[in-house]
Amino acid sequence: MPEIKVTPLGAGQDVGRSCILVSIAGKNVMLDCGMHMGYNDDRRFPDFSYITQNGRLTDFLDCVIISHFHLDHCGALPYFSEMVGYDGPIYMTHPTKAICPILLEDYRKITVDKKGETNFFTSQMIKDCMKKVVAVHLHQTVQVDEELEIKAYYAGHVLGAAMFQIKAGCESVVYTGDYNMTPDRHLGAAWIDKCRPDLLISESTYATTIRDSKRCRERDFLKKVHETVERGGKVLIPVFALGRAQELCILLETFWERMNLKAPIYFSTGLTEKANHYYKLFITWTNQKIRKTFVQRNMFEFKHIKAFDRAFADNPGPMVVFATPGMLHAGQSLQIFRKWAGNEKNMVIMPGYCVQGTVGHKILSGQRKLEMEGRQILEVKMQVEYMSFSAHADAKGIMQLIRQAEPRNVLLVHGEAKKMEFLKQKIEQEFHVNCYMPANGETTTIFTNPSIPVDISLGLLKRETAIGLLPDVKKPKLMHGTLIMKDNSFRLVSPEQALKELGLAEHQLRFTCRVHIQDPRKEHETVLRVYNHLKGVLKDYSVQHLPDGSITVESILIQATAHSEDQGTKVLLVSWTYQDEELGSYLTSLLKKGLPQST
Amino acid sequence: MTRECALLLPRVFAALADPRQPGSDDTCLEKLLDWFRNLTAFDPTVKLLQDNPCLTEFITAVLALPEPSPSILSFTLRLAGILAASENRFQHLQQEKLLVRLFGRDGPLNSAVWEDASVRSGWVEGVHSMMHHQPALHFLCNGGGIDVIFALQGDPSLFVASAASQLLVHMLTLSVESETTKPLSTKDCDWPACAQMIIKHIEDSLQSSSPSHIEQSLKLLTSLFGNCHATWTEVLWLGISKQIESFLMEETVQAQHMLANLLLKMAWSPVFCDTEGSFWALVTSALEHLTPIQAGPLAVGILRLYKCPQDVRIQALTVLLQPMDCILRAASQPLEYAGLLDESVSDPITVESLLSSRSSCASLLCQTLAHLEELLSLIHLPVDLPYTSLLRSLMTILQFCNGFLSPASPLGSTISQILINCFRVQRSALDVLAALSERKGCDTLMGSLFDVLLAYLESPNTSPTVLKKTFQATSKWLVRLQELSCSNNQRQQTEKILKDVFLVLQKHLCSPCWEVRDSSLEFLTVLIECLRDQDEFRQSLLSSEVPRLTENLLEDPESYVRASAVTAVGHLAFITYFAPESPVIGNQYNKESTVAKLQEILSTDSEGFPRRAVISIFTKWLRQGCTGQLEDTEQFVSKVIQTVEHDLDWEVRLGGLELVEVFCSQTICQLGLPKCPYAPVSSAVTSSIHQNESLQIFCRAKLFSFLFQSLCDCDKPVGQRACDILLGLRGDFYPISTLKDSQGTGDSPVGHGIAWLQRTLRQGSLAQNFPTDGGNGVDFQNPESMMLALGTVDLEELHDELNKSSDHVEKSPQSLLQDILATVGTIEENEADCY
Repeated sequence: MPEIKVTPLGAGQDVGRSCILVSIAGKNVMLDCGMHMGYNDDRRFPDFSYITQNGRLTDFLDCVIISHFHLDHCGALPYFSEMVGYDGPIYMTHPTKAICPILLEDYRKITVDKKGETNFFTSQMIKDCMKKVVAVHLHQTVQVDEELEIKAYYAGHVLGAAMFQIKAGCESVVYTGDYNMTPDRHLGAAWIDKCRPDLLISESTYATTIRDSKRCRERDFLKKVHETVERGGKVLIPVFALGRAQELCILLETFWERMNLKAPIYFSTGLTEKANHYYKLFITWTNQKIRKTFVQRNMFEFKHIKAFDRAFADNPGPMVVFATPGMLHAGQSLQIFRKWAGNEKNMVIMPGYCVQGTVGHKILSGQRKLEMEGRQILEVKMQVEYMSFSAHADAKGIMQLIRQAEPRNVLLVHGEAKKMEFLKQKIEQEFHVNCYMPANGETTTIFTNPSIPVDISLGLLKRETAIGLLPDVKKPKLMHGTLIMKDNSFRLVSPEQALKELGLAEHQLRFTCRVHIQDPRKEHETVLRVYNHLKGVLKDYSVQHLPDGSITVESILIQATAHSEDQGTKVLLVSWTYQDEELGSYLTSLLKKGLPQST
Repeated sequence: MTRECALLLPRVFAALADPRQPGSDDTCLEKLLDWFRNLTAFDPTVKLLQDNPCLTEFITAVLALPEPSPSILSFTLRLAGILAASENRFQHLQQEKLLVRLFGRDGPLNSAVWEDASVRSGWVEGVHSMMHHQPALHFLCNGGGIDVIFALQGDPSLFVASAASQLLVHMLTLSVESETTKPLSTKDCDWPACAQMIIKHIEDSLQSSSPSHIEQSLKLLTSLFGNCHATWTEVLWLGISKQIESFLMEETVQAQHMLANLLLKMAWSPVFCDTEGSFWALVTSALEHLTPIQAGPLAVGILRLYKCPQDVRIQALTVLLQPMDCILRAASQPLEYAGLLDESVSDPITVESLLSSRSSCASLLCQTLAHLEELLSLIHLPVDLPYTSLLRSLMTILQFCNGFLSPASPLGSTISQILINCFRVQRSALDVLAALSERKGCDTLMGSLFDVLLAYLESPNTSPTVLKKTFQATSKWLVRLQELSCSNNQRQQTEKILKDVFLVLQKHLCSPCWEVRDSSLEFLTVLIECLRDQDEFRQSLLSSEVPRLTENLLEDPESYVRASAVTAVGHLAFITYFAPESPVIGNQYNKESTVAKLQEILSTDSEGFPRRAVISIFTKWLRQGCTGQLEDTEQFVSKVIQTVEHDLDWEVRLGGLELVEVFCSQTICQLGLPKCPYAPVSSAVTSSIHQNESLQIFCRAKLFSFLFQSLCDCDKPVGQRACDILLGLRGDFYPISTLKDSQGTGDSPVGHGIAWLQRTLRQGSLAQNFPTDGGNGVDFQNPESMMLALGTVDLEELHDELNKSSDHVEKSPQSLLQDILATVGTIEENEADCY
């Protein structure tokens, strides 16, 4: 039976680094190639040695697909292609291909800054890797090879994020990557057609959560920023170069405009300018509102947000600064944090995840006295806020996507085991499909029921329609013929044609059956009774009484003999061909009931 | 362990064992284990356990939990294993029966939580960590634990199954090496108890009818023979060799890949490679019986060996060369040239059928080509390959792939139809082609080889990735062509090829695809680097449109391309205005305009890559002495550093410091300071004059303000580099004996400024912005002031400070413990919020 195998090397019952291997119809595909930022050693990358025990990666894997630019989905890609040695095709959408190197560069910088960092890729490697990437458009069917094709669907979540449908032969899998089923300020909602895949691999970050509306969180954010600025405080927002930063910029820009606020807003790095450039370039990937507004005014050309100079941090008065990196562990954001931390009027807003050990992690967990380099203690008096703006589908959204795509099986990844368990049950109950949640390193095998296309000969088709009803789309029709499997193709032809094509002689196969009936009369009289009975019942068939004493009904032959031991019992020998199987069995069952008394 | 950590530890473990607390971040638990691994690595005593009773209390508490969370249980198993790695601590833990309760029959392995892969993984890891002494071995073997490991070899989790297999290898080695009293031999084979159990398991599995059991044992043996090269492995092998041999002959056992892998590991082990007869006969048999795809990795591994019987080597070579030979024969029948193999040694039927099947042709060729590339990349190849025929075969493959060759033979026609437009095969073949350029003996085919390469370069169907590989192969062969051209007067052929290459390069420089433009520029740079001394090359290049088009790409919309264009233009300068005898210098090559253009990119380009490329090319020019006389150079450097000191990209600033470093050492060298090893020995007086002069030059060029400001850069690598340079300068200006005398700043205004500088830097370089106004009277252009600064500022202290990596707090165990404690009680939704 055909099967689809799925083995997560990452994202199996965790939210770490996504990397999922799928085997479908003899093709092997790797979905995402992410990195875990919480580790400084090889543990940050998936263990690629498990992909294949035999032979080279490039020979084993048919392609790699990247769903979006977040590092937990693409961070290990240059390592995989330039250091581990994968040299095959890599697919992602155009915006992802453009933005990926920015984030990879951003992260590379962090590692260079750390001591003892080895085994990390260089700028040249990032570029070489990106040159191998084939960029795809939404809804474009891309032929990876003769048997494997992929297609991208809009996923929301971040700019360029896509869900991918993978088809090989008549089997298909949809991988959602991270997605969002509700439109937000700058992106639309995920959408997929009713493609009925054999398997839907869905993220499940918020498997048990029904999230409050993003509007509330945005209002809350604006309120906090506004209050701080009003009382003359400074607001620091540590961000990664791309993603949330742009979203928050639009938010603040609009708010500043509406409230006519004068406090300056700064962006700290040049990188972000490039990011904004990409948001402009890929305007079609944003939501309708942004696209519409774009005609009058480009939403990414900010009036209030200016480039930051290091000296501005010492300026008196309120201001808002977006600075990298996002976890407050080095660079400009940390430098500004040190300056402002001591003043309770100021505020730092952390809009994303921080790994253990970073200043960001420490202040989020409530630590207020921090040991900095050189054993200095920094007392944090400024307000610390955490605001989640991450755009994942919640439980409701996940169910909605399943309803939309109508998969035959569902497999959950990118979530915590406990939450997945809950959602799994819900999915199984509501949709009556199997739902799986393999841990990392565990292989789930899904057996598929493929529909195999078969060519049918015109002659057979004409013959079948001539004897039966006209074809009806809604009703399946049983058709008899001979299936020839040759050269990887299937053809249904008439038996005569098959014999001719294959050069075979025909053999007749007859079924026989003995029916005992109680009748003390002579044999020829019993035969006559049987003939009359059948003639009466089978009015539409040709029933004949032959001179040799036997009866025929179409191809069915009936002969009667007396039982050797009991003359009162007659044995009817019924024989029929394979073609008259139905009639043959009907007839025997009729005879087994006995002959009517009246005749 | 520090006192602070010892104080925090009980609270941390109490929190971890508390089921009411939310689970701790997995990375924290991993880092905690790393720390304990370090703590216990060099200390076998029980001191750690005695000083920190919280450790055993924690294990007891977790064992007492009715439903421990899988992650905490897994952590506990692994921690206990690490602690039990020394015999003393093992006994200590056993006193309270903690290990039995964790790893024994009544422990987690018989509870519902065993279903969780992380618990099983923790169990195996825990056992592996403790397996360093006999008591641990006996504990496991006598308690039935070994059966659990046998079963885990077939675990649904790949990670657990693999770890179980590794553990068995480790236990077998430990048992034999620590428990054997006399050397083992085939006649008198008295394995220690634990080893015996494992060996029996291997033997039973190999004889079983279950393919998965056979596979598990083959994996185990592969790992054993790969890692352990002790003589007893041969004794083990002799017991199972017949069985393994039978697998080769039986079609029913589908483990051929593993067999090949096993034999390869054995061939590399000194225990087996020295043996005569049976082992090598088995290898030969494997090379004959396995399909070419299965035998390929074994063949290439054998060919890398220096010690190997000749007939085995020939057999291995046959496996690798047969597909290439078939290609040649399929392309021209009867064969016009020598084939790769003698027909008498090869039976091509299997290979021919694989090559003529759509599903296997590309895979077989890609694998063979990858193996050939691997062999050719070896500097000393233990075998001689027929390079000319190999090259011919490669060219044939490439021509099949682009449809330039469609032979009449049925096989040739089938293969060419399969291979047409097959990028995978094209890429692999081009890789081998590039590697082959290093080998001699292919020179006669040069003309037709370039026909093939140019066809690829010219074809619009060539994909960007294939084009990049074609460029790489072309550049290597062009270098080879030039070498030949010098020796045997083939100037005309060379000139024609170069002209054609530049014509096609012109086209690619205008490609709409940025990847192609970028690869073209990279190709040009490589060519200039390798061939810039060759007249034909220079003339062909400068008479083409390539230089002009390259300059145009300085304004490319794609930053990667702009950066590559900067590098290419920088290299072009070496053969135009920087060349000692430039062949064609027309008006179009204007040094000033190019420098101005690059400086403009450095100051205005919105992206980092082109700016980094400019600073790196400037440094390269400076290194090669291209920037003119000292005065010109001074102005040039001064202008560049004033541009880069405010750059937003730290790598540009770092590049600026590198430029400064080169400039300083060149100036000092030119002025004859003793640093330069070739400088004439100067008297004290002239030395002092030169010293003043160079100091004045550095002050005029505004180097010092850049260097001192960089000490306060928010990106640490910049500060570190600046500090290194300043330390170097101090070494030049202050002989060690005089340094002490210059300490102390005195009461002069200059002294006040320097004292301020010292204080500012001491406060923590990263904490402060360096004042842009020059700061409290420090005159960075005053030689006297800078001399004082160099002597006074405690650069060593700064150096140490900056050299602490930014994550030294992140890495400290104390910080880890504090973080775990701090998260206790807070509901962490953040983690899932990765993005």
